[in-house]
Amino acid sequence: MFGKIVFATSGAPDCDSAARVAFDMAGRYGSEIVVFHCLGIPGKGDSNLVLDVRTGEEVDPDEEYLEGVREELRTTYAIQLSACKNARIEIAVGNPSREVLRAARKEDADLIVMGARRAGVEVGGFYRRGVIGGTHRKVAKAARCPVLTVSRPAASFWGGFSNIVFATDFSKASQSAFKLAQSITRDVDGELHLFHCLDLDRLQSPIALTQEGIEGRLAEARRKIQVEYAAKLGDLAKRASIEVWEGSPYVEIVKFARERQADLIVMAHHTRNVDPDEGPDERPFGSTLEQVLVRATCPVVSVNRPDKLPEASEA
Amino acid sequence: MPEGIYCNKQPITTDEALKALLSDTRGKKYYEEMESLEVDREKLWSSIQKTMKSRMKTWLSVCARCGLCADSCFLYLVNDRNPEQVPSYKIHSTLGEIIKRKGDVDNAFMRHAMEVAWSQCTCCNRCAMYCPHGIDIGIMMGYLRGLLYSQGFVPWELKIGAGMHRVYRAQMDVTTEDWTETCDWMAEEQQDDWPGLEIPIDKEDADIMYTCNAREPKHYPEDLAEAAILFHIAGENWTVPSEGWEQTSLAMFAGDWEACKLQVQNVYAAIERLRPKRVIGTECGHAHRATVVEGPYWAGRPDGQPPRPYIHYVQWVAEALRTGKLKIDPTKRIKVPVTYQDSCNYVRNWGLAETAREILSYIVEPGYLREMTPNKEHNYCCGGGGGFNGIGKFRPQRNKALLTKRDQILATGAKLVISPCHNCWDAIRDLEEEYRIGIDWSFLKPLLIKMVVVPEHLKPKDDDGDA
Repeated sequence: MFGKIVFATSGAPDCDSAARVAFDMAGRYGSEIVVFHCLGIPGKGDSNLVLDVRTGEEVDPDEEYLEGVREELRTTYAIQLSACKNARIEIAVGNPSREVLRAARKEDADLIVMGARRAGVEVGGFYRRGVIGGTHRKVAKAARCPVLTVSRPAASFWGGFSNIVFATDFSKASQSAFKLAQSITRDVDGELHLFHCLDLDRLQSPIALTQEGIEGRLAEARRKIQVEYAAKLGDLAKRASIEVWEGSPYVEIVKFARERQADLIVMAHHTRNVDPDEGPDERPFGSTLEQVLVRATCPVVSVNRPDKLPEASEA
Repeated sequence: MPEGIYCNKQPITTDEALKALLSDTRGKKYYEEMESLEVDREKLWSSIQKTMKSRMKTWLSVCARCGLCADSCFLYLVNDRNPEQVPSYKIHSTLGEIIKRKGDVDNAFMRHAMEVAWSQCTCCNRCAMYCPHGIDIGIMMGYLRGLLYSQGFVPWELKIGAGMHRVYRAQMDVTTEDWTETCDWMAEEQQDDWPGLEIPIDKEDADIMYTCNAREPKHYPEDLAEAAILFHIAGENWTVPSEGWEQTSLAMFAGDWEACKLQVQNVYAAIERLRPKRVIGTECGHAHRATVVEGPYWAGRPDGQPPRPYIHYVQWVAEALRTGKLKIDPTKRIKVPVTYQDSCNYVRNWGLAETAREILSYIVEPGYLREMTPNKEHNYCCGGGGGFNGIGKFRPQRNKALLTKRDQILATGAKLVISPCHNCWDAIRDLEEEYRIGIDWSFLKPLLIKMVVVPEHLKPKDDDGDA
């Protein structure tokens, strides 16, 4: 399904769940896997020193240091690497989000797998902007290929993906996400749950909304899902369901996924109005995807563009 | 030992030699070898006789050691008014001494001179503003650096930097392929948000040819994307050259005159090949000095000008705002206390102080600009100029040098420092990291993109979802 996976990792325990999913997928689908690590942010003007993204210390990225980092990654993922026929380690120096994107482009990756760093990790001001959240946001926004994020232990994945939730806001980007959800469902012979949440926060004050008004909109959204997605499913339709809820989209998506015991959520990033360079304090309350990433109990795959969607294998 | 394996008089000319020197972590062996590097006295003196022209001779001879330059030098002030940091002392005790002794100096003297040339002067040229004779110690220090470089007495990082220019015609190992690939990548990445945006490569007879700093494609390609977005909004007919795109010159910091010439000739060749109406350089101070102010002389251009009019980014921004090519949404103007860092290399050396203020008048809400004292042509160096930022050996001295800028910024009460120069940007970032004064810093491009009015026809057409 995904010929080449770039697994972007800090090498820290934060990425363990993502590692498990990435290597498991590579094994299951026979994918080539590139374990990619960006070790440091260039610092100090034109000097050769970089600031190690994990320790915050100034380091010299000479061959010896790079080999040390490689060795550490080899040790961290020793078991997975030994079980994986087609795996290699690549490291780079630069801004993490940029380097992950660069690697994905260079490798012509079909999928990027990332962990999401837990909130509350103590880091200096300089890094907070570049690494925490920002890395993920920038990669998810700009990548041409799908980005799979695993922020929590994904126990259900041991059985493979089978229960897939596709959450849509009917945007153009969601079209690409739908195609991806369709391909995956077909490929894993799973079930597909088409879901939309009527965003009450973005409508006029809920007090002013009558119950009839809400129900009317729900019915309209159901019809829209039917026309825009379900009608295009073909033979997959018999394994699909449609659901429309109202509330705050990220909460409802996570709740719905939990209720359906989903083991994968597919959605678009679609945050044109959010500037990834804004500091955390200036940011509007996180985008739906970001909140789903943080909260979902299963992996989440996002895609905005049609460029690198996997071809479903023969049904 | 006449010459070492790492530290010698030979310039770096191959990728292998570059990698070998880079493998010597922090230049440990390099500096060890430097301790026994022989001075070629004969060559040193003959080089001085050939290259030292009347201006420099006059400056050295008319300097009355009056000391009026002392207080002009931020390094003198920040080092507790140490007499050894008086600019005239710094040059007389080094270049002056070499000449007095007709080149008969030893290894220890040369290492001392190296320390003075690269850790006690950023070539900011501020002293020249206050000298009653107009003597410019910064220029002489640059000359001294050239002599030291030719003898192998140059900081490790700058030997590498100059080598990069010789091997890659860029301060970093960015090849033509890397560069063009980055242009394609950035154009592609932006096209969803900016339909029709392009980064045209090698377009002939365009209105603008844009040149940048190799650090942009290497580490911060967003900067190139931001330039493209602003040109796109302004409706400019522009291009970048596939070769000759790198405008900076670490070779100038190193005193590697030959590499300076090779570098600038590469840019000029691109101008002559593509015939743009004019050239615009990125937000970089020393790049402007190297390519526009000094470059024509290195390249031997008889009129002292680049092949086509060549302006700094702040000049283009001011013009675009003035002519309405870029319009600022008044509600989005900067509304936090903000100050402006005048880069020595395009303010003092190119007279763009008022041009920069013109930009500020458009983008800062009235009442929020807090000028540093002193400012404009009288502003102090960021503390990391002239290569100082990048030299590990002189880091403690550099960190101390940042204090002047830190105190200037603190006195303004500004929370944001606008700095259209990579070097200043780096120094301000580092001083924040070192001293934690709670400031932010930015180039112009990202600020402009946040507040510019996007014409309706340039906005993406697709729907944004209905929920």
